Amino acid sequence: MASLVGAFAASHGPLIVREWQRVPAEEKRRMSVAYQELGRRLAAGKPDVLVVVSPDHWSNFFLDNYPAVCIGVGASNDGPPEPWMKDFPHRTLAGHPAFAGHLADEALRQGFEPAVSHHLKLDHGSCIPLWKMGLEPMPKIVPMLVNSIEPPMPSLERCYQWGGLLRKAIDSYREPLRVAILGTGGLSHSIGEKTMGAIYEDFDRETIRLFGGSERELIKFLDARLPTHGNGSEEVRNWLVAHGAAGGRGFELVDYLPVPAVIVGCGFASWKI
Amino acid sequence: MRDYWLSKLFFDLQSPALAAEFRADREKVLARYPLEADVRDAIGRTDVPFLAQRTNAYLLRYYFFATGMKDDEFIRRLNG
Repeated sequence: MASLVGAFAASHGPLIVREWQRVPAEEKRRMSVAYQELGRRLAAGKPDVLVVVSPDHWSNFFLDNYPAVCIGVGASNDGPPEPWMKDFPHRTLAGHPAFAGHLADEALRQGFEPAVSHHLKLDHGSCIPLWKMGLEPMPKIVPMLVNSIEPPMPSLERCYQWGGLLRKAIDSYREPLRVAILGTGGLSHSIGEKTMGAIYEDFDRETIRLFGGSERELIKFLDARLPTHGNGSEEVRNWLVAHGAAGGRGFELVDYLPVPAVIVGCGFASWKI
Repeated sequence: MRDYWLSKLFFDLQSPALAAEFRADREKVLARYPLEADVRDAIGRTDVPFLAQRTNAYLLRYYFFATGMKDDEFIRRLNG
């Protein structure tokens, strides 16, 4: 039987790579320490498979067909297509078709309807945290792309439920597989809208506080505040998936710091499993 | 509101090769997309608020990044 060996979340803003040299030294140090600490904790769980929950930043999907949730069920996926991610050390990332297929099947049995893809491009949303966490060797990656980019998006409640479904799929998988989860993105940021560059530190800190309490209060707060706190903040959905997989318990903040140089309220978290 | 072909242009311009072609000969690339006249004009005069109403915010930013506009200038025009 498979087991969940860790759940984590980390920010992934493009400027964390593109403008890294412009990040003030102390902020750079704290972000590096936080990423590395998550990498250390993740590696300590010796995962065979890492489910990476991230948005698709228009790398795979377009207005023709933008799924709410897409599971990567292929044997491998491409590394990031963005030219400025060219130094990411993996051009392909191995998948785990058997577990990914089981996850998709379990989802359909439970009344969830994911899209599936046999070959995805894993953009900066997935790959910046993997890179900064220093994961070598890289576990097999099962991508779970959750739409937090283009309305209509899956509800926050549904994303939390997806976490529970993910946990059930892990628990019901018959092979002895060690599975970890990494939700990426957030916390607050604003991209391509009038407030671009804004970081809502109060919103971020309240979000973090509520991750330590009831998921009802957390979801209620986010439902009310997300529409006015930056479109990038919608990526907190991926944290909710990790939170749901952990049963809504055990949230631990590793670090949070607003970083104007990368225009993101950068958050790093893990869950006690 | 989403203008499909405007959004498709911005989506496609994530390709470095197409972005280079666009910078070299904008009209040639625009001719491949059945854009409405007012949308095409807005691209020509870099009317960021007009375009912002018709596409996804991420795609809008990608477009102006691909065309070489600095973020400060993009934000200034977006709020213009």
